[in-house]
Amino acid sequence: MSGRGLVDAERRRFNRWALAPSLIVLFMIAGLPAIYLVVTSLTPFQLVNPGSSTDFSSPLRNYRLLPDDPRFVNSLWVQAKLSFWGVLFQVLLGMLLALLLHTQSRVVEFARTFFLIPMVLPPIVVAIIWKLIYTPDISPLYYAAGLLNITMPSLTSSVDFALTAIIIADTWEWLPFTFLMVLAALQTIPDEFSEAALVDGANRLQIFFYITLPFITPILVISGMFRLIDSVKAFPLVFLLTGGGPGSVTEVTNYYAYLLAFDFNEIGYSSSVTIVMLLLVVAVSLGVVWMGRRREAMA
Amino acid sequence: MSGSSSGPIRRSASVRRLVAIGVTLIVLLSPFLWLLQMSFKSNDLILQFPPPLIFTPTPQNYTSLWQGAFPASFVNSLMSASFSTALALILGVPAAYALSRWAGRGKHALSFAILVTRMAPPIAFTIPFFLFYRWIGLLDTVTGLVLVYTSFNLPLVIWMMQPFFETVPRSLEEAALVDGAPTRVVFLEIVLPMVAPGLAATAILCFLYAWNDFFFALILTRTNARTAPVAVVNFMNYEGWEWGKIAAGGSLVMAPVLIFSLAVRRYLVSGLTAGAVKG
Repeated sequence: MSGRGLVDAERRRFNRWALAPSLIVLFMIAGLPAIYLVVTSLTPFQLVNPGSSTDFSSPLRNYRLLPDDPRFVNSLWVQAKLSFWGVLFQVLLGMLLALLLHTQSRVVEFARTFFLIPMVLPPIVVAIIWKLIYTPDISPLYYAAGLLNITMPSLTSSVDFALTAIIIADTWEWLPFTFLMVLAALQTIPDEFSEAALVDGANRLQIFFYITLPFITPILVISGMFRLIDSVKAFPLVFLLTGGGPGSVTEVTNYYAYLLAFDFNEIGYSSSVTIVMLLLVVAVSLGVVWMGRRREAMA
Repeated sequence: MSGSSSGPIRRSASVRRLVAIGVTLIVLLSPFLWLLQMSFKSNDLILQFPPPLIFTPTPQNYTSLWQGAFPASFVNSLMSASFSTALALILGVPAAYALSRWAGRGKHALSFAILVTRMAPPIAFTIPFFLFYRWIGLLDTVTGLVLVYTSFNLPLVIWMMQPFFETVPRSLEEAALVDGAPTRVVFLEIVLPMVAPGLAATAILCFLYAWNDFFFALILTRTNARTAPVAVVNFMNYEGWEWGKIAAGGSLVMAPVLIFSLAVRRYLVSGLTAGAVKG
């Protein structure tokens, strides 16, 4: 009995030593910066004015300014549009692609890997690729349009098309992610279900709507939410393709916060914008965790 | 998409489906292939339309990159990605093992905190790190980048390694423990070798995340520690529109990623979703 106790004590000591360094380092490189961000968001800190970093005379000033800042409100709206359309297309097209590739064949299994390429490319390379496609002088897209006698506007500098151009590039980049997740879900559907339905005379469309779709809906929602969280981070595409323009048509909140901090030197105000963004991300993350648990409980 | 794509029954692929898959693949990858072929063209050839189907590839874009400042930035990328991977593994692997064997309260709260660290937009970390580095002089250093990259790689290691440790049967460990071996030895000599494939996959993912970073490097480096992704973008700003060089630089940046990620594609999803969903 006491031998067992000794082993347990030894195990606990090991656990402490195994966990402590990670927790300390995480606290230093993630916890402290987060606290510091909150603190800065309560000051009117500007880089050119060092004294302002400790000016807490009006701590909520930044947050009070936010609702009346048209650029901030606009950036939330741009972000909402980008996220909505991007996530919608990624989930829909990813599902179609998964259905197309859900088949038993050595060739197809080999081909699947190549469908993943856009997702694993460095985001900045994706941005470069689409910069080449959207630059009229060197783009096969504009050449093809010219052959068909269509004059295409410069997509990334047009008020009407700039955001669409970014949504297209973002969808191309992340389509493989939803594809991969839906494919994994499809592979867990027992064959008996659709076989039984076929015997009962159901057609393909009915099988899709009554068997496949209910089965993969949770994974569609979850993959959509993961994309939603990550869509907040869209930076390289905006940075390289449009620079937030024309005007502020493609200026998402992340990009606005970047400009505020590193172009306008408004560190304090930028921190408050970032905090708002962070809260939104945490809210969605909580939703994902909650849904993941519920799904586990149901399974 | 064609109607035949909705068949949920697994059967061997029909010819129609194979053709549809082939066409989709070509359409989907064409932007990527366009960059690749451009990197082997001279600037005159790049501006030539209709594009010649057959041309003599020239390595001139790559050689001119090799002679410039690009190799230095490539080395910076390699160093910051490797060191942060090593640091995250050394710290995170024992922690993941302890967590996987720990049934105590607070595990969920800790897991959520780690998830949020993974999900937070990079700018949330950039502002504090920028101010701190400016103060202690770590701006534009590889050390600075290593620390920042560890802030997202360490949570990744802890998340990804836990399921691997859970697959190691406890009876194995208990037998050794009863024989009087300390936990440290059991961990190093029995458990760790059994999770070697997971360890490799985690290491590669860490490396890729750090390698792919653009945002942190853009803000936290200037010239000395500039990484390859930032260097490529600089071709656009300062050296005129040298499309061939830009395409070659982009191809070089993506080369290691393509090779490594195809090796770990099975784990890509669990890495991306930070383990909240079992892919």
